[in-house]
Amino acid sequence: MLDPHRIREDFPIFKRKINNYPLIYFDNAATTQKPKQVIDAIKDFYENHNANVHRAVYTLSQESSELYENAHEEVAKFINADGMEEIIFVRGTTEAINLVAYAWGLHSLESENEVLVTLTEHHSNIVPWENLSKISRFQVKYADVNNDGTLNYESFENAISHKTKIVCLPHVSNVTGVINDVKRVAEIAHDYGSLILVDAAQSVPHLRVDVKDLDVDLLAFSGHKMLGPTGIGALYGKREILEEMEPFHGGGSMIKEVTFNTMTKRCSISLNDLPWKFEGGTPNICGGVGLMAAVKYLKDVGMENVKEHEKILTEYALRRMQEHEKIMIYGPKDASLKCGILPFNVEGLSSHDVALFLDSYGIMIRSGFHCAQPLHEMFKLKSTARASFYIYNTREEIDRFVTLLKEIE
Amino acid sequence: MSRTPLPYNPKILELFRNPKNLGKMEDATVTAVAGNPLCGDMIVFYLKINSKDVIKNASFESFGCAANIATSSIVTEMIKGMKLENAWKISWKSVVEAVGGLPSVKFHCGILAVGALKRAIRTYYKNKGVSPDWLTKEPTFEEKQALEEEELAKILSKRMKAEEEK
Repeated sequence: MLDPHRIREDFPIFKRKINNYPLIYFDNAATTQKPKQVIDAIKDFYENHNANVHRAVYTLSQESSELYENAHEEVAKFINADGMEEIIFVRGTTEAINLVAYAWGLHSLESENEVLVTLTEHHSNIVPWENLSKISRFQVKYADVNNDGTLNYESFENAISHKTKIVCLPHVSNVTGVINDVKRVAEIAHDYGSLILVDAAQSVPHLRVDVKDLDVDLLAFSGHKMLGPTGIGALYGKREILEEMEPFHGGGSMIKEVTFNTMTKRCSISLNDLPWKFEGGTPNICGGVGLMAAVKYLKDVGMENVKEHEKILTEYALRRMQEHEKIMIYGPKDASLKCGILPFNVEGLSSHDVALFLDSYGIMIRSGFHCAQPLHEMFKLKSTARASFYIYNTREEIDRFVTLLKEIE
Repeated sequence: MSRTPLPYNPKILELFRNPKNLGKMEDATVTAVAGNPLCGDMIVFYLKINSKDVIKNASFESFGCAANIATSSIVTEMIKGMKLENAWKISWKSVVEAVGGLPSVKFHCGILAVGALKRAIRTYYKNKGVSPDWLTKEPTFEEKQALEEEELAKILSKRMKAEEEK
């Protein structure tokens, strides 16, 4: 069990008052707050080790290169990947998915192929495929979700075929918090000779994710949703798949050698080793260092403890919110099926007004469509408010949140 | 149980609870929809216009927040009896003033209300096949906000429909 009161001491932002009230931060599905260990790692990097990576023989560059490589190794271990060759640093989940679409999809998908995505999908997982399909003319197919936000496995099995080349689904829905059975989907995808790409932005921060156990081919997540800085995230890929993929951003770092042929007047390029082949240009070195500190912090807390704490909070919040008839909760009411994300509405009020009201008491929640519009349209909702929890949230905060919701007029 | 009000000024709260001109108008001369699917706010404006281009009646439907309802309500009040040329000159800032001020995160609600009004006026003249010289050729700032948003909504609903038909 983790002690959120002790954890809070590591987060400087909780000293802040908002509108003269203590800050209650319930928008963790959007981004998380940062512990001083992460802030200090970033500060230490710029104060003591700053230099470009992979370039120079001097001490500072050696140090920054080692830190940046270690960051890849730490992330690899965190999700049980086979070393840093399988971890590509990117700006975040969105860039990771675009990387797969353009470095793999552009070269592998033809008009007779299909890409299968689920309607629980975050925009970032739909848009790159819809865009690419305009170039490569393949079909984008959608598998349904049930009314409670869970993936409809029957619809999924009906939609998949030997035409399917890649299946994309979120591990955990950013709207309902439902955990999808990725292992089961991966097995089916592989039976049809399809790859599977998992949007793990809402799972890696909250659950123990083991890419070998899940047997997924590609998996993407963002650092800023797991205590790390913004602008850094990772794409995991099985080594043999990454080796076959074409590069994404052309530029420095991703090439081993460029030779100019004076006869043809053309350059020939030999690509760098994994993962650098996909990290063209000077990378976000400091972001990598910050992400490494975040991973270490979460390892110290223990991912089992993170999950257990969120489950306790979610169960408690569900129970307290259901005491009040004017509060409608969407998605499954069984906390064991989900991560700590609670979509809700207050009868007679727009979700934006609920969020504005809570803000005036120092409580930060999200309102609107949460970047997953298709799911909302399925639910026939205008918009919802969303509270999402993390390791530093407490039962006392939920008490205050529910009390205020009851008083709203 | 104690009651805690929403963080709006009393005028907005009053208009939210007792909006004026709320509801569909069956004999409207022109209708305009303006939506922002990102925040979920959507409004429909109905105008009854006479042969002298004067707004005889105005009403609205809203699927939005209190600020959205209050600004739509006040715009429909402001324009009743107005010539279209004068209604065209209403700016979103004057609407925000008229409701006694809005939190800055809610300015887009006032923009949406004026956008719906301007789109209704433009549609009216388009249907009539007339183009008065005060009617700008280029869409105004408020129309652009509403237009883009509505197009976004169209794209999304089209995609959903395509899926439902499969």
